[in-house]
Amino acid sequence: MSRQTLLTVRNLKKKFSSDIKYNMYYGILDLIYDSFGVKVNQKKLRANEFWALNDVSFDFKEGEILGIVGSNGSGKTTLMRVLSKIYPLEMGTIKGKSGQKIIPIFALRSGMMPLFTGRENIFIKGAMYGMSKAEIKEQMAFIEEFSELGKHLDSPFGNYSSGMKARLGFAVALSTKPDVFIIDEALAVGDSVFKAKCYDYLKDYVKQPGKGVLFVSNNIRKILKVATRVLVMDNGNLIYNSEDITASLNFYISHCLRDLEEGKKQKMLLKIQNYDM
Amino acid sequence: MEDANHIMEEFSKNRESFFSHWANTFRNIKSYRFFINQLIKINIQTEFKKSFIGLAWLFIVPILAVVMWVLLNGAGVVDPGDTGIPYPAYVLLSTSIWGFFAEIYKTTSNILKANGRVLLMNKFPYEVLIAEKIIVHFIRFSIPFFVNILVLIFFDVSFTWLALLFPLTLIPLLFMGAAIGLLVALLRIVAIDISNLVDEFIRILMFMTPIVYAPKLSMGWLSEIVRLNPLTYLIGFSRDVLTKGTFYEIEIYFIVAAVALLFFLFSLSIFKIASPKVIERLINN
Repeated sequence: MSRQTLLTVRNLKKKFSSDIKYNMYYGILDLIYDSFGVKVNQKKLRANEFWALNDVSFDFKEGEILGIVGSNGSGKTTLMRVLSKIYPLEMGTIKGKSGQKIIPIFALRSGMMPLFTGRENIFIKGAMYGMSKAEIKEQMAFIEEFSELGKHLDSPFGNYSSGMKARLGFAVALSTKPDVFIIDEALAVGDSVFKAKCYDYLKDYVKQPGKGVLFVSNNIRKILKVATRVLVMDNGNLIYNSEDITASLNFYISHCLRDLEEGKKQKMLLKIQNYDM
Repeated sequence: MEDANHIMEEFSKNRESFFSHWANTFRNIKSYRFFINQLIKINIQTEFKKSFIGLAWLFIVPILAVVMWVLLNGAGVVDPGDTGIPYPAYVLLSTSIWGFFAEIYKTTSNILKANGRVLLMNKFPYEVLIAEKIIVHFIRFSIPFFVNILVLIFFDVSFTWLALLFPLTLIPLLFMGAAIGLLVALLRIVAIDISNLVDEFIRILMFMTPIVYAPKLSMGWLSEIVRLNPLTYLIGFSRDVLTKGTFYEIEIYFIVAAVALLFFLFSLSIFKIASPKVIERLINN
């Protein structure tokens, strides 16, 4: 049976300005145009602008953990913000299943309040994801169990270590049970045992029908661990798209990490070759 | 292959019709009402969580302001004209109504700057924040306002049944403050100089509105500004309904109120359309 497509992305483009003053100037111009409903030709770059995403097209299917790699500034986070509807879509098309729930995590602690207890923060963050009080209460046992925070849940969130904050943030995000989960470098903190538990959870999660994960990371070990397919981004372009994880990472290291010393590159390549899939 | 349960829909490009635009706003507020609740709780509690006297601050600030104006009046620095009711009561009430306008301007105009990072990291509708700010604004206004009523009674101000209309008469003022605030919120990201100018203008506007003096003044150019200033009518109407049980310039009040409502709807539409595009220009993300 063929797998359902969760997202179809075609010819996606997004431009930004590299200069602060131009950035503000274009902001004012666009604001005026929008206010009066004036249509402008967006396909052209204005002075000091660059393509943060340039003609990106791909399909994303259920059951996939799609690893997205690319050096800093390659457009990974911009792509994720457009897919999660944080950045408006201006050029290109994105199709998703009707009523599909897309939950992004860009920063696990974002929106959590240091003066409130962990338990209070579960309600705050859960509500931010659009959950009702009843839905959060229903998920409370799962969150308590997954975060393994025990009695710490009743002490102020601000006193938590970064690992504990990550546990709680991730447990709340998982409890939303989205169709498409966007994880953008959000698992960079926390202890390795917890991270391993998260990866196992995600692998099981996508086995359910209609579920998929977009996983952004530059850590090749993490990509090797979880990804079922890899997209390589470079300067706003999608330059490689393959289910062969090893080949994708080889391509990424050889073509994108231009500033990395040759010795270090070789070490990374060796790591990939020796990784036991 | 797409089956019936798997209809692919295109992501919107902000081209909603007028009605679906407003229907969306209400739907968003409804489905995120628990989040609005949580934000209200955070807003009210955070400020006072580490303070020993807590909510008492809501009373202390307006009382200090009144004391200052009464002292200035006693020293003969200000000549308020005929205020109708005792001067301290007049100033207390007027400054608190002015505060109602100025505070909603301040909170709405900072809505994107203050929440920029959260808005870049999480996806939730922006109108949730506006709803929260308006509700918190009413709570913050009503608590010290009870103290104000006591002070008015102390100064022998008598109330009629029409005083009960007072909260309703504030609504146009809220629309006016929020309308300016939402436009400035966008400018605060892309045109900082203009937003700073508007901030200063709002500060100066207080002295061009009959707050610390009576509206009927023969002061040349100032009288003319006071006459043209829409806030004169919005604030004067609320004040007279409460303290005199009369309607101050009722026709002009209703015209200004209607303009304020239309201005608010216009601002909210612009804010909804433009804020995602403005937010992506935040540099410090």
